[in-house]
Amino acid sequence: MPSLSLLAAAHPSCNARTWLSTPHPHLPIIATACSDKTVRIYSLQNFQQQSTISGGHKRSIRSCAWKPNSRGESVLATGSFDASAGIWRRWEEGSGRAGRPEMDYTNGLAGGDGDEGDDEDEWRFAVILDGHDSEIKSLSFSPIAPLLATCSRDKSVWIWEELEDDNFETVAVLQEHEGDVKCVAWHPSEQMLASGSYDDNIRMWKEDVDDWACCALLTGHEGTVWWVEFEDTNNIYALGSSETLNDEQRAYVDTRLKTGPRLMSCSDDMTIRVWRRVPKDKPEQQPNQLKAPSIWKNRAFEEEWVEDTRLPRAHEQPVFAVSWSRKTGKVVSAGSDGKIVVYEERWKSGADALATIGDGQIDRSAGLTEWVVVAETVNAHDVFEINHVVWAPRADRGKRVDEEEVVVSTGDDGEVKVWVVDT
Amino acid sequence: MEADKDNANPTILNPSDLPSRRRSAPTAKRVGIFEALAPANISPADPLAPPVASDSTLSDDEREEIDEQEVYDLISTISDPEHPLSLGSLGVVTLDDIAIIPPASPRSRISSVRVLITPTTSACSLTTVIGLGVKVRLLNALPPRFRVDVRIKEGTSRTADEVNKQLGDKERVAAAMENRSLVNVVNNMLATCA
Repeated sequence: MPSLSLLAAAHPSCNARTWLSTPHPHLPIIATACSDKTVRIYSLQNFQQQSTISGGHKRSIRSCAWKPNSRGESVLATGSFDASAGIWRRWEEGSGRAGRPEMDYTNGLAGGDGDEGDDEDEWRFAVILDGHDSEIKSLSFSPIAPLLATCSRDKSVWIWEELEDDNFETVAVLQEHEGDVKCVAWHPSEQMLASGSYDDNIRMWKEDVDDWACCALLTGHEGTVWWVEFEDTNNIYALGSSETLNDEQRAYVDTRLKTGPRLMSCSDDMTIRVWRRVPKDKPEQQPNQLKAPSIWKNRAFEEEWVEDTRLPRAHEQPVFAVSWSRKTGKVVSAGSDGKIVVYEERWKSGADALATIGDGQIDRSAGLTEWVVVAETVNAHDVFEINHVVWAPRADRGKRVDEEEVVVSTGDDGEVKVWVVDT
Repeated sequence: MEADKDNANPTILNPSDLPSRRRSAPTAKRVGIFEALAPANISPADPLAPPVASDSTLSDDEREEIDEQEVYDLISTISDPEHPLSLGSLGVVTLDDIAIIPPASPRSRISSVRVLITPTTSACSLTTVIGLGVKVRLLNALPPRFRVDVRIKEGTSRTADEVNKQLGDKERVAAAMENRSLVNVVNNMLATCA
């Protein structure tokens, strides 16, 4: 079994538990949420700490998320055990002079930060989002709309819309979960949100006419759902170019493109599961339904998601994080047992695939592929638990190929480690 | 006052009947050694305090065996939040209900300690707090290679599943240890530990 090799540990490490690290949308840096109430920004080029965000939260920072598509200025959201979320801004290198007019404008709005020059390198606290009753566990920006989702031990998911810079309005408070909401993740190309909970369930949310509501309930996990993540819209191409596929495989690819990105979840029950949307019947097949518009509308809103498959069982303790590579479709997982495991989806070999098809056409959309473990490492953070793991672009001098990725793990030992996967 | 308690008249065990190794070295001294190894980030005494020691120095000590009696000694002296009595003398923790589970695979260095606690009454509303006290005590006193699994003994509490899930949730435990009033309750319980 290939192993992951340690490329570097971010320096200096935190002397308390670190919860999560997330790569910047276009700069070679990561933000690490720490239980010492700070966020540390580390370089992925030399793995040194570049800056620190502190002073905004009264308790542990549990989670942080970069605003996508920001240019010239980086925007980070932080979620804390103090029940609030913070929005922080920082001018990006090289944008200072060019962005001067915008900066003056923003400073003016912020109530006059007259000092120029020195502050350009600093993180500026922009706004605080209050509303949750208890600890914020996770937060996420939509990649396609000016929306931020936050979730909390108070069992709710909040959706905030950024109307203009730093003016966030609550557009939904979703309260159908029966326990802490541990994680939220946006669909990559639709305005749809997934959430995982202490109630062992996953829910999907989207806007129905004017109101956000739950459009799917995914049951099956037998423990807290610690993390959910959608795959990239184009992940299907990780299985190979269309020329090399046989007819069955091509049909499978068509089905998957029709159903759209799948969702992956990991849980206290030690399993990692893949969920897929069940494609709806084409509208023209149900002309009679048009006579009952209210029912029709409801049917159009609700979605059916089913468990597609499970990843091979590789963990002996709860799994706290999974990350689905947008570049390669590979998955990495980590958790309480201190292992980091990398998986890959492959076409089943001919005989297996035929057997599955022999069962009938119903399960055709599943079963043609299989997940295999392609690399793993044990005791990745000494004897400590790993709270988070994520793919990030490789940016150090040792980078071997374009679009090479590294794995970044974040642990109870306060360490952020960067790993190279050789497969 | 007494009537407000969930269990005003608990059964109390005779101290001489409690399990002990009866060695000459005082327990307090051994506990001190472990406290130096505790992950500082979960310290209930002061969650904001700087860390005491890095784990990188303990590789030699790591091999030291820890047995059930030692775990019992660490938690039996915790005070009940309702009574001026120890969890050992109330029979909330017993030697028989402590298990040390070795690493799941030869490559893993992670062991588990499982403690089953017996609430003094089946409806004890303080069960979660007692469980939290036991959990925090062990997280602080045992080397970090131990995963601490504190559960309610089956059939002793109506709310066992709920309490077990809470105690098993590291995020909830971490957040609880940043809650000043809960920290004070736990610190009072642990004040009687040597």
